[in-house]
Amino acid sequence: MASSSHTVAKTTDQINFTFTGGQKLLFGVLMLIGVICSALAFFNDPADEAINLHHSRFWTNFLHNSAFFGGLGFISLFLLCCKILAYSGWHTTFKRIWEAMMMFLPVSIVFFAILAIGNFAGFHHIYHWAAEGVTDPNNKEAYDSILAGKAPFLNPLMYLIFTVVIVLVWSAFAFILRARSKAEDKAKDGELSFFKKNKVLAAIFLPIGGFSSAAFIWLLLMSIDSHWYSTMYAWYVTASWLVSAVAFTILLLVYLKSKGYFPQVTKEHMHDLGKYLFGFSVFWTYLWFSQFMLIWYANVGEETVYFDLRIEEYPFLFYGNLVINFALPFIVLLANSTKRMTGTLVLVASLVFFGHWMDFFQMVKPGVYYENYKHLKHSHGHDGHHDEHHDTDTHLSDAHNHDAQAEGDDHSHAAVGGDHKGDNHDGHSKKAKSSRVGYAFPGFIEIGMMLGWLGLFLFVVFSGLARAQLVPTNDPYINESMHHHV
Amino acid sequence: MATDSHTNVLFGLYNDEEDLMRAIESANESGLDIMDVYTPFPVHGLDPIMGLKESRLHIAGFIYGALGTCTAFGVMTWVFTRNWPIIFGGKPYFSVPAFMPITFELTVLFACVGMVITFYTICGMGPGVTNPILDERITDDKFCLAFKTNGLPNGEIDNLKSFLSSTQAAEVHTKMI
Repeated sequence: MASSSHTVAKTTDQINFTFTGGQKLLFGVLMLIGVICSALAFFNDPADEAINLHHSRFWTNFLHNSAFFGGLGFISLFLLCCKILAYSGWHTTFKRIWEAMMMFLPVSIVFFAILAIGNFAGFHHIYHWAAEGVTDPNNKEAYDSILAGKAPFLNPLMYLIFTVVIVLVWSAFAFILRARSKAEDKAKDGELSFFKKNKVLAAIFLPIGGFSSAAFIWLLLMSIDSHWYSTMYAWYVTASWLVSAVAFTILLLVYLKSKGYFPQVTKEHMHDLGKYLFGFSVFWTYLWFSQFMLIWYANVGEETVYFDLRIEEYPFLFYGNLVINFALPFIVLLANSTKRMTGTLVLVASLVFFGHWMDFFQMVKPGVYYENYKHLKHSHGHDGHHDEHHDTDTHLSDAHNHDAQAEGDDHSHAAVGGDHKGDNHDGHSKKAKSSRVGYAFPGFIEIGMMLGWLGLFLFVVFSGLARAQLVPTNDPYINESMHHHV
Repeated sequence: MATDSHTNVLFGLYNDEEDLMRAIESANESGLDIMDVYTPFPVHGLDPIMGLKESRLHIAGFIYGALGTCTAFGVMTWVFTRNWPIIFGGKPYFSVPAFMPITFELTVLFACVGMVITFYTICGMGPGVTNPILDERITDDKFCLAFKTNGLPNGEIDNLKSFLSSTQAAEVHTKMI
């Protein structure tokens, strides 16, 4: 058996991938939708005029999608390095997909750089720790002693290092890994030097990637809820990326197979990817629950704030997250047979992919929406400001006040008044459920911006696939992969 | 087995699993009735060509697991809400998150232990049971194809022997187990 099909890889005619004009057009249209929706979100956020002083809806979407799709690039690199180091062979026929996905890392640097510059320049207000005067004890208005204590880590310079510089380092690893992998195609048969060099590279990258990604996640996502911290958070986010990357791989493989590529990728490979989708979904749930239960049981105020906010005011996001990302893949993919049915697998993979995009949505949005304003309210608590207008308006006007200090009080009142007209803002009671489009659930603008990032991501992945052989014919594990059998 | 406590076995030992696979395929073509195949490690693709059905052990495993879930959750709910309600850490009597770890553990425990017991029962294994082995090297580096020869005329046994030799069997033996 082994000897007869030794040359399958060589004779596969679909060895090179062509990025067709139609696909380019489609991704271009997706990106255009993204740009239009970004502009809409930036200039004309219908959700909330007071919050939109900082264009928060645009910036949260920007962060949300950059983190989600940039993370897919990181996790593909991480997966590849794990596979190389574990002497894994089954994935080899489609390893170029992960190689193409990790090429999104250098692209995502641009987005992280914009966010990092924003912390210095103050043109967005995602992170309260980056706000002006928060760490200044003399600033009675904005000073926050907890954030001042965290300032050695939570500051714009650290943010720049751990988002932009670290992603640059990851990108360098990705480039070298891919360059060697591509050079292997041109090398003579049985040439192992590229594989061995990549093994060393993978061994170097894994600890670097593992530790630095935690700091990356703390700064990028966890510091949104800037008072809050959780030791499980980095794992939890990484698991979310992992499930999304596997789901994306399944969808892309099924699509490419329908176009006649990857005839050698069989049900056996899909079955294993299905197991990954199932297993990592359960792993994600394990981390989700571990994080939740410890905080729930310990009941320490500064830890429960994250869950309290989400359970009380965003129950749709909070419970929906568990249903779509745990219950659905668990029940559907539990049986052996469902992992081998392409239709079922595609359905679950697309729902879970969207589900984890929603998971990132619930990580980013509630924190940005409430945290800053709550802190401002808190810091203004006893300055007699309260008496001038009723409670409901306090935190909003204070928030406005804080950012538009130069403009004076009267103006801020006007803005807050306008906000209340067509809006069901629920500042009256903390128990009220939030139903604000763009914060409590994604609106058209969120979906549109996601499509924009998706288009860009797909464009990068497809051009990455086109720039190398689709099947790595000289990889030492290619034959093992061809005969993969579960 | 009930009428005759002994089985006469004719078996061939192969050096390579590829030879064994080819032998099974040609035995299927000639309509020979294979008693069993023994290999030192799991050989991929063996089950379908031997015509074995997919094991139903995992269905039993699911049922045991579900039983474990219900047991753990049911008992804890009963104990903490009816039998002996105690407040832990200011949490309600019926606190689902607190029940989860034990529910998970008992699910795994029931599924594992249940599947092991079922597997041993089905295979007739367990403490005090001695299973006859055809050749010790089957657990090391030999691949065995065995035929049951009880009540077969000598001519047919000779046919089987020549079949084994013709399919590259390194050795052919008979044994009464």
